[in-house]
Amino acid sequence: MLLIKCPYCGERDQSEFTNGGEAHVTRPKNPEQVTDREWAEYVFIRSNPKGIYYERWVHSHGCKKWFNAVRNTSTDEILLTYKIGETPPLIKKFQNILKSPSGEPDVGSGNFTVKKP
Amino acid sequence: MTDNKIYFKFDGKRYGGNKGDTIASALLRNNVKLVGRSFKYHRPRGIYTCGIEEPNALVQIINEHNEPNVRATVKKIYEGMVVKSQNRWPSLKRDFGSVNNLLSPIFSAGFYYKTFMGPKGFWKNLYEPLIRRTAGLGKPPHEFKSKSTHLHHNVDILIIGGGLSGLLAAKKLAGTNKDVLLIERENELGGILKNSNKIKSINDQEALEWLEKTERLLKNSTNIKILKNTTVTTYNYSNHLTAIEDKSVGAQPENKKPELVLHKIRTENTILANGHIERFLSFRNNDLPGVMLAASFEKYIQRYDVVPDNNPIIFTNNSSTFSLLQLLINRNCKPKAYIDVRDVKKIERETLNLLEAHNIPFYPKSEVEGCDGNSEIKKISVRTKKNKIIKIKASMLCVSGGLNPDIHLFTQSKGLVKWDEKILTFKPEKSFQNTITLGSVSGNFIFKNIIEEINKKLSFIDGTNDIDLKIEVNGSEEFNIKEIWETKNNNKSLWSKSFIDLQNDVTTKDLTQAIREGFDRIEHLKRFTTNSMGTDQGKISSINALGIVSKLLRKSVSEVGTTTYRPPYNPVSFSAIAGRSTYEFYDPERKTPIHPWHIKHNAVFEDVGQWKRPWYYKKYENETMNEAVQRESKHVREAAGILDGSTLGKIEIKGKDALEFVNMMYTNSFTKMRPMSAKYALMLGEDGMIKDDGIVCKINDNHFISTTTSGGAANVLSHMEEFAQTEWPNLNVYLNSITEQFATFNISGPKSRMILSRVFNDVDFSNNKFPYMTFKNINYLNYRVRILRASFTGEQGYEIYVPPKYALTLWERIFYYSRDIDLVPYGTETMHLLRAEKGYIIIGQETDGTVTPLDLNLNWMIGKKKKDFIGKRSLTRSDIIKADRKQLVGLVPIDKTYGIEEGQHVIEDKNIPSKIDKPIKMLGQVTSSYFSPTLNHSIAMALIKGGNRKIGSQIYVSTSNMNVIPVEVVKPNFLDPENKRLLS
Ligand SMILES: [Zn+2]
Repeated sequence: MLLIKCPYCGERDQSEFTNGGEAHVTRPKNPEQVTDREWAEYVFIRSNPKGIYYERWVHSHGCKKWFNAVRNTSTDEILLTYKIGETPPLIKKFQNILKSPSGEPDVGSGNFTVKKP
Repeated sequence: MTDNKIYFKFDGKRYGGNKGDTIASALLRNNVKLVGRSFKYHRPRGIYTCGIEEPNALVQIINEHNEPNVRATVKKIYEGMVVKSQNRWPSLKRDFGSVNNLLSPIFSAGFYYKTFMGPKGFWKNLYEPLIRRTAGLGKPPHEFKSKSTHLHHNVDILIIGGGLSGLLAAKKLAGTNKDVLLIERENELGGILKNSNKIKSINDQEALEWLEKTERLLKNSTNIKILKNTTVTTYNYSNHLTAIEDKSVGAQPENKKPELVLHKIRTENTILANGHIERFLSFRNNDLPGVMLAASFEKYIQRYDVVPDNNPIIFTNNSSTFSLLQLLINRNCKPKAYIDVRDVKKIERETLNLLEAHNIPFYPKSEVEGCDGNSEIKKISVRTKKNKIIKIKASMLCVSGGLNPDIHLFTQSKGLVKWDEKILTFKPEKSFQNTITLGSVSGNFIFKNIIEEINKKLSFIDGTNDIDLKIEVNGSEEFNIKEIWETKNNNKSLWSKSFIDLQNDVTTKDLTQAIREGFDRIEHLKRFTTNSMGTDQGKISSINALGIVSKLLRKSVSEVGTTTYRPPYNPVSFSAIAGRSTYEFYDPERKTPIHPWHIKHNAVFEDVGQWKRPWYYKKYENETMNEAVQRESKHVREAAGILDGSTLGKIEIKGKDALEFVNMMYTNSFTKMRPMSAKYALMLGEDGMIKDDGIVCKINDNHFISTTTSGGAANVLSHMEEFAQTEWPNLNVYLNSITEQFATFNISGPKSRMILSRVFNDVDFSNNKFPYMTFKNINYLNYRVRILRASFTGEQGYEIYVPPKYALTLWERIFYYSRDIDLVPYGTETMHLLRAEKGYIIIGQETDGTVTPLDLNLNWMIGKKKKDFIGKRSLTRSDIIKADRKQLVGLVPIDKTYGIEEGQHVIEDKNIPSKIDKPIKMLGQVTSSYFSPTLNHSIAMALIKGGNRKIGSQIYVSTSNMNVIPVEVVKPNFLDPENKRLLS
């Protein structure tokens, strides 16, 4: 079970939280003026990277506040959490965590147990 | 009884054991060697190990709800315990299923996959019942009632393993400001000090004396908590671990007390000091009762004071068996032979000296070819240095194939392991979390190095001092091993077997065959052969399988890799996982304030989410649901009825921007709406699909109260919160769930106004003063009541909102004032019928997450002038405006005596062919169907393709007995389409 730091309450068990999908998906300002495709992008399409992912969580069994998190999807490490409205950290900041082009770190990914000879 | 023996039963026979004995140690004490039959071939099996790694000795505890697959090597006996062997019929000695052993040449790897393929129906009727009878382990438990609890810990340091390394680590941490939890699997601390003869002295004290002193020191230190009889099963992310504590070791579980405690531990650092597991070797008949791991044999002598056999043969490929040899000699039990795979030059001087001094037959550079015997070992054949086979009479064989660091938890923690060519096993290489490995789990098999290792690895912890300790061992300090996984087999018979997985009956031949058939990736091979997939997860054999496979593939073990170690480390009872969340505690039950009245009036309840809602009320003992519903609904239409609607979700929306927010959340427009009026409102997702409906009451522009469906309340609130917080955080709006702050009654029927006028006699209920979809706040007997003129039945109706404290009083008063009118209480089923007559939808019945307001012809609910609301843009997407989408229609059977079944398909064709060879064209499905007592015929609602254009036409509805009913498509409004009743 992950330990997640709610920016309002501090570190709590994952079971107190609900994941809210990708963060920083902007709702079009004037929905009437966007094309079907643009609207569908907003409603249905999410990125699904292996590696650094910006996502939303809500402290549903706690303060009920929504916040943003940066998670490494290949190790499930939550690297940072920050409040809604705060500027998201640059992805460059986490680049040193990704050891290979595919976003696979050499340890913790779950895909390898044995160190390559 | 004068002796202090503990008596228990095994397969009906009474045996005595000592206090502290496991079932296995007690059986060995009584010279019982045969304890079970194997999984597939029903071969006789004995006790192989002395602990959690046991593959064979699984038994059923009859007096503990028939608990199956209990390891006899772990479970401690108590007076009156009843134990049964597993997987045999009719008896252990004469087992019918052992015919499988005769048939074994055809039961090779993948046998089930390949053989039982066809013909159709054979699997279900013949193969599966046959296999179920002969394969498998224990029988399921019965009359089982869970008694477990969960406990949470937040510590600085968790130490797993109370053996030498764990104790030293704890000692180092004693008196620091760190919160330390030390977990030990056995009922006593000590590990290797208790299990073996390896440690001669610590600081010139006897090992057990040092242990006693150390335990006292740890107990007296305030920062260390010790849990015994506790096994860590899972190592999750963020240093979160779970462990199971057995609270009834060596005693019959007490009735009212928890048997198991699931500990959930969050820690800053984890110290793995969980030791190693000895591995076996493959040779012909290596499963025969009498074969036992060497360290286990030693543990039986040291820990339980049982010598399983006075003159066993020792077979080894490494230096760890010296301590057993010495122990046996000290006990005057001379081994019949000592067989070492290694060259005499590689064998430790201490061992050679001991063998020579005691004149023990010694076979260097030799191996066990196999063993023979019917149900236990009689003879062991040895292949000598000169490749000659000689046979030695013996009844037990102690085997050591090397030592494996117990890396299960380390790999669960996502650490990386590396193959060590010197000790021929995997050992931890790189931690992923704050994980430290100490002692043999880190591949350090040399005791004198432990102190240095601990001082080095734990020096980062504040407040610790270096420890200094002198450890003297029996025999050599070095660990030396020669690679061997399987010995050469002389017997070429098809029936000859050399096992690689004892629990799942996988032979080394199965591995060869799997590779021949192309399953050369280790994860594929595991699944095809089921190697290491038993409840023991191949603890003594999985590394051996990698060794054999690497040889077959001519690859290094590193290249072959290991399969993924998955939690739990050992089997976990579902009872421990469930904890207190069982039976009535599984899910909370929510009851309305009127609940006691419902019970008194013979309500039959229905679960709606967590709520208990009256489904219908039985007027007399034998009244069926159908009769009750017909009676209740007719009565509402003719006089009046009352429904307990307290379960409706209620959300209060307040703030300067409440109006703007409500306008965004619902399809309707609330801007021009007058204060103290109400609107039936729809809530969509951004995809345009209906999420929920309810009535929104406007108190003023800064204050709204909306109702939600009973099951949807929590979701609707969190949907609103999500948008308020993430999309429009600048809006000034506050949301609050007030579901339980108000009980709600729905009174409807032509006489409802009369009833309300009597109860609230100072309120003017006339149509002018209290029109449809308006509400009033009134004071009634000094509490505030909100009355809303609304209806879900199509009749004149009112909703009363009252604080729950006064709800039952008011409910009873309403009945008192209508005692001459015949007010009928009605349940959810009647509510559904009444609303269906009016064509009102129910979320989750007419909608399923793929239905838009346009599909339901609810266009009138969409605020056309509103620039935006959630889901609005989606309603103009090309797919949503297609004319042939499923649309809501009403159905009436042409022959009005027929009933329509809910959930049936709506089809265009009159005939369903007797032999269906192509899909039948489906128009849609029946979403609701009832017999209307008011109309005196069946009515139904359905979602059908292009439904709007089909009004007036005849189509068909399938029935459960493969028939069709002709129906007429009508508008989904069967009663009073002009709303005369509603507005009366
Ligand atoms: Zn919080």
